[in-house]
Amino acid sequence: MAETGHTPEPVVALDGVSKTYELGGETVEALADVSLSLPEGSYTAVMGPSGSGKSTLLNLVGGLDTPGDGSVTVGGRELGGLSERERAAVRGGEVGFVFQTFNLMPRLTAVENVALPLVFQGWSRDERRARAEERLADVGLGDRLNHQPTELSGGQRQRVAIARALAPSPAVLLADEPTGNVDTDTGAQVMGLLDDLHAAGNTVLLVTHERRIAEHAGRVVHVRDGVVERIEDLDDPTPGGGA
Amino acid sequence: MDGRETLSIAVRSLRSHRLRSVLTVLGVVVGIAAVVTFVTVGASLKADIVGEVEGSSANNIYLLSTPAEDEGPPDAPRPVFTEHDVAQLRAVDGAVQVVPQGNLPVSALSYRNDTVGRQQVTATTPAAFEGASFIAGRPFDSGAREIIINRQAQTVFDRNLSVGEELRVTRRSGDTTNVTVVGVVNGTGTELPFQSFVSQARFYFPTAPFYETVVESPTLGVNQRAYLQVTVVADPGDLSATQAAVRDYLADSDATTLQPGGYELSARTSGDIADSLEDLVGRLTRFVTGLAVLSLLVGAIGIANIMLVSVTERTREIGIMKAVGGRNRDVLVLFLTEATLLGALGALVAVPVGLAGAVVATEYADIGLTVPLGWVGLAIAVGLVVGALAGLYPAWRAARVDPIDALRRE
Repeated sequence: MAETGHTPEPVVALDGVSKTYELGGETVEALADVSLSLPEGSYTAVMGPSGSGKSTLLNLVGGLDTPGDGSVTVGGRELGGLSERERAAVRGGEVGFVFQTFNLMPRLTAVENVALPLVFQGWSRDERRARAEERLADVGLGDRLNHQPTELSGGQRQRVAIARALAPSPAVLLADEPTGNVDTDTGAQVMGLLDDLHAAGNTVLLVTHERRIAEHAGRVVHVRDGVVERIEDLDDPTPGGGA
Repeated sequence: MDGRETLSIAVRSLRSHRLRSVLTVLGVVVGIAAVVTFVTVGASLKADIVGEVEGSSANNIYLLSTPAEDEGPPDAPRPVFTEHDVAQLRAVDGAVQVVPQGNLPVSALSYRNDTVGRQQVTATTPAAFEGASFIAGRPFDSGAREIIINRQAQTVFDRNLSVGEELRVTRRSGDTTNVTVVGVVNGTGTELPFQSFVSQARFYFPTAPFYETVVESPTLGVNQRAYLQVTVVADPGDLSATQAAVRDYLADSDATTLQPGGYELSARTSGDIADSLEDLVGRLTRFVTGLAVLSLLVGAIGIANIMLVSVTERTREIGIMKAVGGRNRDVLVLFLTEATLLGALGALVAVPVGLAGAVVATEYADIGLTVPLGWVGLAIAVGLVVGALAGLYPAWRAARVDPIDALRRE
């Protein structure tokens, strides 16, 4: 469908993706023939009301779900043909998730949470510690390394989550309503951080139902009832954007 | 996921629910400690039996007339071995010593002003004490008014009874006699083995002049002393041949003729008796250990139960781990590690507890402690295996958690 097509190798590409669920005996079509590509360094927001299929889209890109039809390519790898084990490796290495509810491991410290993806990637203890400290410093939490999630504020937790998502240097950062669980000021800080990360060259895919949040991206993909309604190019206020 | 990280996360999860982890471990402790106690007591009993047989009684052949199995009422044993039998047995090839033994009918024993009722009073010959371990004194002389007592008999009266003291014996007939204690022993060399299990006070009198139980010898046609039990001490190199010769003689002895119907003569070595006792102890140990294993099963169910609860509670954590790259196998191993840790902790605590139990039990039964190291090692291994097995299903459930559902949960 809509392709801006100015980058030869997109970081993420969805091609004719469909996904249906069985819900209480009823077949629900979450996505129908969706095609989308994210060029390297781009900042894309997927917008739509709840139930529009935007979360499904994020789960597919993140390798948590598999498409019923079509193909999903992340970092050059077609996820459809991968085993559960290989998809886990993609989740841990190629994509970084940021969730609305932070989803930190409750009994691990900030630095251990950030290092967790690297544990599964088989990094050595010293390497992952160094990388985790570096990433926490990047998000401004270099002085909170050994705090547990319960000892951190909502904004700090979300920053830990972002640091964790970035720990393995993923091809794409996936943010699912990252400001949904924090107050407006903190939300602005989180969005500011995402802007900075984008400016630093990261590819970002943001899912939200708020126009205000979506406007941080250079491009807004409007999704409704499982189909892409339209793709809106914005004047990206952030320098170094993908537009 | 590397092992160290898995262990660290597992330990933290267990510690975050300290009370329920402790209670779950306790369930395993009870099971494994019970197993350790019972197998140790069993092994100690067996070792005690073997020790008893390997001692001075190894070459003894015990002659008894007992009711044949499952036949007739269990009457008291009868004195069927006559002096003639004893004399004939002395002539058997390989018989070094023949020691008869009978019960002396006594109604009371008095020491100074203290009188006790019926006691186990045995009549035997000085040869009975040849292999005995004397705590004090010496064997009695045949024909003398001298007796020997065992350790337990020293404390029967108000005042401690020791060598050189005089006792007054009231016979069943009403006659009284004074006797002098000349020795204190730890059992005799020839009495039936394993009497030491029964910590009973015993008084040993010489057959002459005290033993008066007589029957008419069928062979000789005259009245003779008759004994309940005879011990043949065999030449060490010739035990089985001597046993065979003794059995040969018994087939045609006064005892055979005198014993009532339904009775059977036996000539068994300590080894024979030990074998059957060991067999009995083994069966008992297995039975009791089986019960203990059942309680271990309960402990295992406890682990499985708490792990299932844990999987449900931590569904979201599982989702997080999978979202950041955790494989099904990583999750499986994590939960298996937790379950195995519970089992291992249980085993670790249970071994000293179980051994302490065994120490108390063997002290009480007055037998030496033998720790079957292999079994104790096995108990620890069983703890680990029980934990792992009990955790298998919960861990499998955890590994199969769908990360999308898990992350959606509040």
